[in-house]
Amino acid sequence: MVTPWEARSGIWPSRGIFEASQLHLDGEASFYFGDGGTNTNDRGGTALDMRLALPQGSRDILPTEARELQAIRRILLEAFGSYGYVPLEPPTLEVARGDGSVDERRVLRFLDRDGSLLALRPDLTTAVARVVAQRYGDAAEALRLSYIATVFRQEHSMRGSEREYDQAGVELIAPASDGRATALADAEVVALLCDALSRCGLPSAEIDIGHAGILGGFLDEADAAARDEALARARSGDLVGLVAGARSGGLSATRVDLLREVLRYRGPIQPWLARREALPSGSARAVEDLAVLGGLLEHAGTPLPVRYDLGLVAPFGYYTGTIFHATASGLGLAVASGGRYDDLLSRFGAGRRATGFAINIPLLHQAVVAEGWRIDDASPLVILEGGSPEHLLQAASALRRAGLAVAIGAVADSAGRPTLALRVVDGERVERDGRVLPLAEAAAGLTAV
Amino acid sequence: MSAPLRLALAQGTIFAETLKALEGVGLPTGGLSGHRRLLVRDDDAEYVLTRPADVPTYVAHGAADLGMVGRDVLLESDEDVIELVDLGYGLCRFVVAAPVGSLDRSLDEYRHLGSLEVATKYVRVAQRHFERRGLQVEIIRLAGAVELAPQVGLSDWIVDLVSTGRTLRENGLAVVEEIATCSARLVANRVAYARDRERISALAGRFEAWAVGRAGRGSMPAAAASR
Repeated sequence: MVTPWEARSGIWPSRGIFEASQLHLDGEASFYFGDGGTNTNDRGGTALDMRLALPQGSRDILPTEARELQAIRRILLEAFGSYGYVPLEPPTLEVARGDGSVDERRVLRFLDRDGSLLALRPDLTTAVARVVAQRYGDAAEALRLSYIATVFRQEHSMRGSEREYDQAGVELIAPASDGRATALADAEVVALLCDALSRCGLPSAEIDIGHAGILGGFLDEADAAARDEALARARSGDLVGLVAGARSGGLSATRVDLLREVLRYRGPIQPWLARREALPSGSARAVEDLAVLGGLLEHAGTPLPVRYDLGLVAPFGYYTGTIFHATASGLGLAVASGGRYDDLLSRFGAGRRATGFAINIPLLHQAVVAEGWRIDDASPLVILEGGSPEHLLQAASALRRAGLAVAIGAVADSAGRPTLALRVVDGERVERDGRVLPLAEAAAGLTAV
Repeated sequence: MSAPLRLALAQGTIFAETLKALEGVGLPTGGLSGHRRLLVRDDDAEYVLTRPADVPTYVAHGAADLGMVGRDVLLESDEDVIELVDLGYGLCRFVVAAPVGSLDRSLDEYRHLGSLEVATKYVRVAQRHFERRGLQVEIIRLAGAVELAPQVGLSDWIVDLVSTGRTLRENGLAVVEEIATCSARLVANRVAYARDRERISALAGRFEAWAVGRAGRGSMPAAAASR
């Protein structure tokens, strides 16, 4: 027997458990969750049929799309596997930590039965960091972990964004003894991202690489409050306020001009390597790091163009070094992003350097479909009709053994896969286009298509 | 990249100045004069004419590469765009205002009742401001004529956008504190800014030079204040 309170605090969030102030921030949000068919609707009046309603930001992924997403996941897993990354599956529910790794307002939280606060994971990097600290704390060697998992983010309503979507990503955790071989690890991860995206068929993709230390260098002499404010401005895209703040915060006019120039720069890294003396020391070190990385990437055979964007800002606080994102033409959001996060693991008690990325799978799907990608259907779905149940099962079994996909009876949705109807004559023969063929011959004709 | 850059332009009070800015940086504006059409294609640029509040949405989603819109709109919208240039015009301030002479009374009320009522059109700006100040307020969303609310007892305070402050004075209100000074901004979509950096940076440079020149001509103290 489930009491109303248990129903409210169980796995399924019901209305009122999420912080109302977040959901109703703009007054237009109204979230409903299935509650076993009691059909309450406190807006009153005519409303959605609660048996069919989905929460805002959730949707069903129907077969055609789901099949394409599966194909993309498979390609990504193959790419990750070919670099030696092994899969990890952390849980969907974590204890809400409030560690500031992502925007706290965007984390979906609710109460567990015992009153503790739970969170639907907003990203996987933090979860992986926890697992590594907990399970591999003593391992001396590098860890290469990959995941494909759903993440949950609270979005303001009516923005066309989804609250849950799949991410595919990798995390490369450096050997415990390894102090500084960071450039090689960064190069590997960037090369893997390029490889993974181009395997999916995204010829327009470009990679931009920046470094958290570039802006950091300019803020080294600022006090903590000013630095936090500047970083918050940078993160929110307020370059005007960032520069104005630097100016009023006492940065010299030449430094301010330099900062503006740096923030706007995108191109090869060499010109800045030559000018690094002019930069604050922290920024100069970051440019040196990027130059070393750039040199290595030339040997990695990256199939996508790589550029250096010195104004790139780390989206999350945990990035400490190289940061990068991948963009595709016609998409207003980055398809993938990642970087180096050397401090995150130490927050969980394992002082290991690490670097990784996450690909937004729905966005990647959108991008590749826009560029004309379709699943390469080598063979159709065979629809068997007619005949006795015994003969249908016998024929289906034989055709499947020959490598075909076979459904008995017409299907309402073949997920976009072409279908081909065969009429079963008996357990050994089928009829195709008016010709009666032995099963083996029919199968050979179809697999050869 | 040969496709023209697409700019989302806020119609409304700042539109006349936006036209001047476009002319000032040498972008074609011929098709914009009648502005009946909402999508105007010229040789070097394509314009989307929208309500101010929609500009950040178009830009954040990449439906426009760039946008010209007031920072007041950006603050309220919460969309993710990059602010590249302070264009200097459309100067206004977000303020907290209260009936003249009522500040002590409302603070006393706050001590006793633990909350103040604030009427506003700008719910996000107001909420964020009072969160930062650690004041507990109840936001009352209105669609307009917010200055009326304290006079009829709907709210204690208001959060509103003012340019000259005349409306406040005429309604017996005084500024309690200033939340932010705003002017028009050139904003960019993050991906467009990354992939089309050369063209966008060059254009941003021209807008910046125009804004500096405008401030120098003393048409308004706006750009000077932001420098």
